[in-house]
Amino acid sequence: MSFVLSLLVFIPLVAAPLVYLATRANKKGGIYFSAAVALLVLLISAYIFWGVYSNPPLPGQYSFVEKFSWISVESVGLNYFLGVDGLSSPLLFVSSLLTVLVIVGSRKLIDTHEPEYYALLFLFEGAIMGVFTSLNLILFYVFWEIVLIPMFFFIGVWGGPRRKYAAMKFIIFTYAGSTIMLLGFLYVYLGMQTPGMTPSFDIPALAGHIPVALQYLPLLASFIGFAVKLPLFPFHTWLPDAHVEAPAPISVLLAGVLLKMGGYGFLRISIGLFPNASAQYAWVFLALGLISMFYGAIAAVLQKDLKKMIAFTSINHMGFVLFGAYATLISGNLLGIQGAIFQMFTHGLAVGSLFMLSGYIHHQAGTREIPLLKGMKSTMPRTAAVLVLGSAAAMGLPPFSSFLAEFMVIVAGISAYGVAAISILVPVITAGYFLWTIKRTVLSEPEGGHGVHDLSWGDVAAFAAYLVPLVVLIVFSYLILTPALPVAEFLRGAR
Amino acid sequence: MVDLLTVSIALLGAASLLLPLLQLRKGGDRAAAGYALAVVLGVVMGLVGWFTLHPTPVPWFGSLLSGDQLGGVFALVTVGVTLMVTVASFNYQKGPNTPVYYSLLSFTALGMLLLSYSQNLLMLFVAWELMSLPTYVLAGFDKKLRSNEASVKYAIIGAMSSAIILYAISLAYGLTGSVQISDVVNGFRAQPSALAGVATLLFVAGFGFKMSIVPFHMWIPDAYEGAPTTVTTILAAATKKAGFVAAIRVLLALTTFYVVTQNPYFTLPNVLAVLALLTMTVGNVSALTQKSMTRLLAYSSIAQAGYILIGFVPYSLAPTSAAATIGMTGSILHVINHAVMKGAAFLCAALVLMQLKRADLGAYNGLAKRMPVTAFTMTVALLALAGVPPLNGFWSKFLLFLSVANGPYSWLAVAGILNSAFSLGYYAWVIKRMYADEPDSPERVKEPFWFIAVFAVAVGLIIGIGLFPQGAINFAAGAVPAP
Repeated sequence: MSFVLSLLVFIPLVAAPLVYLATRANKKGGIYFSAAVALLVLLISAYIFWGVYSNPPLPGQYSFVEKFSWISVESVGLNYFLGVDGLSSPLLFVSSLLTVLVIVGSRKLIDTHEPEYYALLFLFEGAIMGVFTSLNLILFYVFWEIVLIPMFFFIGVWGGPRRKYAAMKFIIFTYAGSTIMLLGFLYVYLGMQTPGMTPSFDIPALAGHIPVALQYLPLLASFIGFAVKLPLFPFHTWLPDAHVEAPAPISVLLAGVLLKMGGYGFLRISIGLFPNASAQYAWVFLALGLISMFYGAIAAVLQKDLKKMIAFTSINHMGFVLFGAYATLISGNLLGIQGAIFQMFTHGLAVGSLFMLSGYIHHQAGTREIPLLKGMKSTMPRTAAVLVLGSAAAMGLPPFSSFLAEFMVIVAGISAYGVAAISILVPVITAGYFLWTIKRTVLSEPEGGHGVHDLSWGDVAAFAAYLVPLVVLIVFSYLILTPALPVAEFLRGAR
Repeated sequence: MVDLLTVSIALLGAASLLLPLLQLRKGGDRAAAGYALAVVLGVVMGLVGWFTLHPTPVPWFGSLLSGDQLGGVFALVTVGVTLMVTVASFNYQKGPNTPVYYSLLSFTALGMLLLSYSQNLLMLFVAWELMSLPTYVLAGFDKKLRSNEASVKYAIIGAMSSAIILYAISLAYGLTGSVQISDVVNGFRAQPSALAGVATLLFVAGFGFKMSIVPFHMWIPDAYEGAPTTVTTILAAATKKAGFVAAIRVLLALTTFYVVTQNPYFTLPNVLAVLALLTMTVGNVSALTQKSMTRLLAYSSIAQAGYILIGFVPYSLAPTSAAATIGMTGSILHVINHAVMKGAAFLCAALVLMQLKRADLGAYNGLAKRMPVTAFTMTVALLALAGVPPLNGFWSKFLLFLSVANGPYSWLAVAGILNSAFSLGYYAWVIKRMYADEPDSPERVKEPFWFIAVFAVAVGLIIGIGLFPQGAINFAAGAVPAP
């Protein structure tokens, strides 16, 4: 048994108090220490990513498995059970990459309460690693809830003018959603306490063994939990508030990492554990995903705040994940789930870069309002270049791999229902509002614009770290798609 | 081994009687009483703990008491909370009557210790009074109008609940000819009658006042708010638990309630389930609108009593089932956890009240900047009360909800989980005030040493039990009474 996954979870958790002490003693040194820890975690997750790629686990199987008995009362046993497959390994990698980049960006954008900030950042990272590796439902729930605590403080303490409202809204929405999810888990466990069935909280032990009649209510319960996180229209209303108020680096984590928890949950639990009920109502989920895609795209057109526009783009992009996942269930076309996994990876980086950039723009120009940002091409040319490239990545323009991900999802959608071909309009609308934004901000003539400054070359290099992997992955897409294939096969055939 | 407990009783009795003598010292250092009591309580905890780990459950004092693990758990919890309060009082309790204050605390601790081990209804009643009477005085210890009002209100309600219990005991004696709990239970089982049902209901009501169960809760907010906040900590985290041990010892044995009443709806599990639902819902809904921290915590304490009661339901339904064991384990674990979480939260409130002279929620604005340790402790305690993993409150709630999630009371699990989600609303609101709002004045406020020491222990327990719950779960599971 290897302990790599435990390292991944516990290095950040143990580092959190150390980072707090280090940053209190010496601000600069503490931040370098944080960066070093985050890099170490990134290396470990790269090792895991490579391990899963070079030797993908069979459908329904997991690599790097760790399993111990954790808690037992009466007949109830809970295991400390970790494992990864082609669904979780890209998410682990992108989460740890984004954590490094967030630390790099926070250096400039966060200037209060640094010790607490960096400590919470590692609490967040450790919990996220736990969410993506847990194979026990209760362990999953524990990590899932820990994620809320740092995020609540991030928004409430470091946020903008309406941060208190946004933080409260965030925690109430997501906590309510996840407690309902927990109820669904308990329902499954107790429902299986009949002769001939072995009740368990372990995902591999449950997959394929939950009787159909027991699947409907938990599917609904888990749907509520994951739909709030994804977020799916109409459960999304916390997201624009949270994003607008959160500081830019936290928006990166919110969009790049936290939303993935919803997509991951849909794939691993809603489809993986309740496949029959999922297949029966797949058209509902498909439609909801489609509505979310259109809603996110159309709402984004109307936004004046650059950051709010990107926030709605997230809703739009995460709709693709749900759409693709359930398109596979209906049509059997594996491209849907592969595309959904790919989409989660590319969305994290593409939208992450835009959120971080919006923070820099606010920092440099004093505003994020699209109509007020004029003539960026001459006032801050390097920022403008990054904005153009980031927008190209977000709208799915080749050579960014977001193109490939959205393409795969749409193909799967069409093979499910011909009508779903209208989803092709979503990237069109997305491209429309991004291009319109670029026209208004980058290509317009500057008005005044004195006193603004531009990105340093170092910052540009940091942004390259978001965008270069996307270009690389359109060529080497098999790095993600090969390990995703057994996952897609497993989820398609789970019922 | 039983002698260890006898020694504990003797030590506490001696402390109770001797501490007031320090009152006679002219101008001397009266704080010595506190140190002495802390040492005594520490030793008692050690003795009880050692005994609980190496139990010899034999009758003791002529079968008035029995040294079983259930008693051990509750004795440790109640004496432990008293120790926490005593240590925090080093910084809180000043003035000439300090030795009397500690003596009264010691009397209460002795009452709770005896109550935890009681096997006899009369013994239970005597211990109950020994526990309650000093707290009536302690509630009025501030010599302020509010404090005295709280004391009077609490004393009247307390006397009423004692009278109700005594009436129930007299009925039980009349019906069965014995005051030994096991004889009463067997007698009720052998000869069910309407009077036995009345006696059971009277027990529910009498213990319910102490357990702060709706509809017997109305005195709680006023008394908790008016009493000195250290005393409130005792009321919420310790004497309330004593109500629960009495209920476990007496009520749960009376599962024949159904036979007694001959009514398929008016059964003990149904009564307990409805009370649990009412208690947690009323507690949480009322807590949401409170403007004062003490009242907020008081209502939250009522809500927590509702959660604890959930575990009683499967036990009273079918005491031998696995769900009953899980539920009762959850209840006892939640008693332990609640003592720690609520103790910590009330002591934070006590410190804020002492240093800022304010109890309203506005005093908590920006507290993280003024009293960082207190704000952190309060945050951990409140998150644990809300049941956020991986803190200790999550595991006990998890077991409680798991025990009823399948079967006729699954609605109770749904209600409990929704209540938990709802309660985070007001807990998070306080945390938001402490960390996101701006304080009225920015200067740092002193956080005295003994308070910080208690906070450190409490936070350690909350997180420690949260991460490694197995030990605490085993401890609680061992205390589940055999049916």
